[in-house]
Amino acid sequence: MKKSLNSTELLEFQPNRYPFLMIDYVTKFSPGKFAEGYKNFTNNEWFFPIHFKGNPNVPGALQLEAMAQMLTIAITTLPGLKGKVTHALEHNVKFKKEIKPGDKLVLKTKVLKWNRGICDGTAQGFVNKKLVCEANMKITIPEILEKFLPKK
Amino acid sequence: MSNKDKYIKVFTKSFGINKDKLKKDLKYNSISKWDSVGHMNMIAKLEQEFKISMEMDDIIDFSSFKTGIRILKKYKIKI
Repeated sequence: MKKSLNSTELLEFQPNRYPFLMIDYVTKFSPGKFAEGYKNFTNNEWFFPIHFKGNPNVPGALQLEAMAQMLTIAITTLPGLKGKVTHALEHNVKFKKEIKPGDKLVLKTKVLKWNRGICDGTAQGFVNKKLVCEANMKITIPEILEKFLPKK
Repeated sequence: MSNKDKYIKVFTKSFGINKDKLKKDLKYNSISKWDSVGHMNMIAKLEQEFKISMEMDDIIDFSSFKTGIRILKKYKIKI
């Protein structure tokens, strides 16, 4: 398998689409271990005119979504999981600096544990090599998790 | 620590409850913390505590505190 994914290739592993696709390129990844890449933000982003007029910056929720989408790549590149839908379970996130139009958000994610449909992982976002956001994350592939749950 | 104490501890720690709550056979989804994520966390802690690896069918069947005692017998763990 290739160890990077361009903007078209990553769509096979990440089911989110415009206007909610929050990653542009996966520069390197190892299935089940890590995924790294970036998202370029331009003035054309749909949210900048409304968040906020006169002071456009990337909403924290979307920074978190970008980190979650990159972590998802580390899981959905595992055999048999291509394109599976993931859901968030628990996130603990810190936002350190505003991200503005023209910024390139570099995303680095690591899988700490992957078992029975649940992934524990970490993510960090950098702009110009400075940490701007970070999170401890728990995501799931519901299709797998549900197979392990009591039915009664 | 006895197996029973270890078993109770996994439940009380996993779900943040007092052991009195276990007297009436606590069941899956009967409290907010024993949801899907809580279930998988609790199973992982049991596996770690008793050094076992549970089969998928047993994880699905593990629907209450009392049922768990029966299931663990399969793994030669007497509570």
